[in-house]
Amino acid sequence: MKKDDKRIIQIEHLKKYFKDVKAVDDISFEVREGELFAFLGLNGAGKSTTINIICDVLSKDSGKVIIGGHSIDENVDSIKPMIGVVFQQSVLDNKLSVLDNLKYRADMYDLTKEEFYQNLKFLTEKLELSDILKKTLNKLSGGQKRRIDIARALIHKPKILILDEPTTGLDPKTRLLVWDLINDLRKKENLTVLLTTHYMEEASEADYIVIIDNGKIVASDTPINLKEKFANDFIRIYKYKQNLLENIKNSGFLYKISSKNIEIEVDNMKKIKDFIVKNADLIEDFEVIKGKMDNVFFKCNWQTTEGVLI
Amino acid sequence: MKEFKKLGSLVERNIKLYFKDKMIFFVSLITPIILVVLFLTFLGSVYKDTLLNNIPEGVLIGEKMVNAFTGGWLFSSILTTSCITVSFCSNMMVNDKISKSILDFRITPVRKSTLQLSYTISNFITTFIICFTAMIISLLYLAIVGFYLSFVDVLLIFIDMILAISFGSLLASILSLLISSQGAWSALCSLVSSMYGFLCGAYMPLQSCGDGVRAVVSFFPGTYGTILFRQHYMRGVLNEMSEILPNEVIGSIKESFDGTFSFFGHNVPTWAMYLVMIASVMILVGIYLCITTLKIKKIKHLVNFK
Repeated sequence: MKKDDKRIIQIEHLKKYFKDVKAVDDISFEVREGELFAFLGLNGAGKSTTINIICDVLSKDSGKVIIGGHSIDENVDSIKPMIGVVFQQSVLDNKLSVLDNLKYRADMYDLTKEEFYQNLKFLTEKLELSDILKKTLNKLSGGQKRRIDIARALIHKPKILILDEPTTGLDPKTRLLVWDLINDLRKKENLTVLLTTHYMEEASEADYIVIIDNGKIVASDTPINLKEKFANDFIRIYKYKQNLLENIKNSGFLYKISSKNIEIEVDNMKKIKDFIVKNADLIEDFEVIKGKMDNVFFKCNWQTTEGVLI
Repeated sequence: MKEFKKLGSLVERNIKLYFKDKMIFFVSLITPIILVVLFLTFLGSVYKDTLLNNIPEGVLIGEKMVNAFTGGWLFSSILTTSCITVSFCSNMMVNDKISKSILDFRITPVRKSTLQLSYTISNFITTFIICFTAMIISLLYLAIVGFYLSFVDVLLIFIDMILAISFGSLLASILSLLISSQGAWSALCSLVSSMYGFLCGAYMPLQSCGDGVRAVVSFFPGTYGTILFRQHYMRGVLNEMSEILPNEVIGSIKESFDGTFSFFGHNVPTWAMYLVMIASVMILVGIYLCITTLKIKKIKHLVNFK
């Protein structure tokens, strides 16, 4: 992490135990301003507990939580307006209209009427809410409700947006709409986004990733570095001469042969490059497939839970 | 000042939520509806017969007086039960805990005490709106069948209502602080809705119950609230009856219809009943403040919203 970047979230040696369960066990990380920070982990890994502590909904046992330069122990009132949260499930009032839901929440942030309607206008345009603003929440579809959740989280123009699995169950169009808005806000307003998700392709878009398991951080780095460390690339060979198979077997590479292609796992790029050059006459068509975040995620979690590497 | 604005907004939201939720609204009105249905089907004639049984033979009292008396009794029953049952059913705090909407407010800069207080205030206001509407309907009904209430009586009924609602909404708020599950709260609301009408003598006068029951209910502050409603709804018509009936008969009618109440053989004066109600409200305020303070300190340890 670059030292000169402004750190907006600093977590130091954070601990939270529920009797014998170590929900969060001495974790430390930092989030820079404007960053898309992904927080990954299996269910029960400690992601939501950490988020709840950051939002001051849950108390910590020990450690430091500093948001925007303010300690949560000393100046929580300055922290809360900085944060907007999209919860895993909608926590808005089903019997009230969209407008009422947004208005009553906005009132808690001391917004003037003008500020509220200005923010509402912006979000209405960006999230295409104009047709549903006066509708009761329980009459909306899942995707529409999620858009309202996002609008609610952003109604007070927070500096940090916490997204707890925000796109779970959304149709592709709404997912795109949500991410377009978030990326737009990151670009224009320097919005910091702390994301927990089960979609690895969303996590791979992050600037920085922390993987948590059993309350402990098991890996943290940029997606590229994590892929380098934990997810090997593949060479997929589509057209080849039969002699190549013998050479692959003798090379000691891990490989998989199917009816259409051969996949060779790349654990050493120099070695594979040398192999391709040496066998160039036998290979007609191939591609390099970069390691995926899914591999990183599973490898990190399997390493800690099963004690073996895959 | 900012916190007051937030409190106002939260109260408005809670009230709106209550009236928009037709199921909660309907459930909270079940007891008064049952009372009206019972009155129309058989309770009205039971009250009438009981009243007429107290009248000496040969003395005639007008239909207008009989209707005003039974109507007053019905509406005193409706108000005394509604002040409590509506308070319990209109408490939005448990609903917010169940739907987890309360979390959406806990992440905002609103103080936890403001959030807590908003539920109690909105509870009081929603109960007041319903009970005040019932009171207006009672006055209109009595104006049609026979109106004997003085301005002071109406004012005292209003004060009785405020005291009973304060008692009910504080009690409901205290219990809602301790309950987080829908099942437990529904069970409590059902119990209160079904039992309170019997315990406060809304369906049948307490006088017709056994000594044991009367001894037990004499320790419930709500009983004195009920007697106050009875006294103020029936005072005007009983005054009118006293012009044609001897004092002993009026005394007997008052006793039969819970116009008076005794605590282990000692007649409880009206001022003492007010004292009981006011003291109960004050005690509940004390308990409410203690629990709220303790809960606010502990709340972050108890929350589990995953």
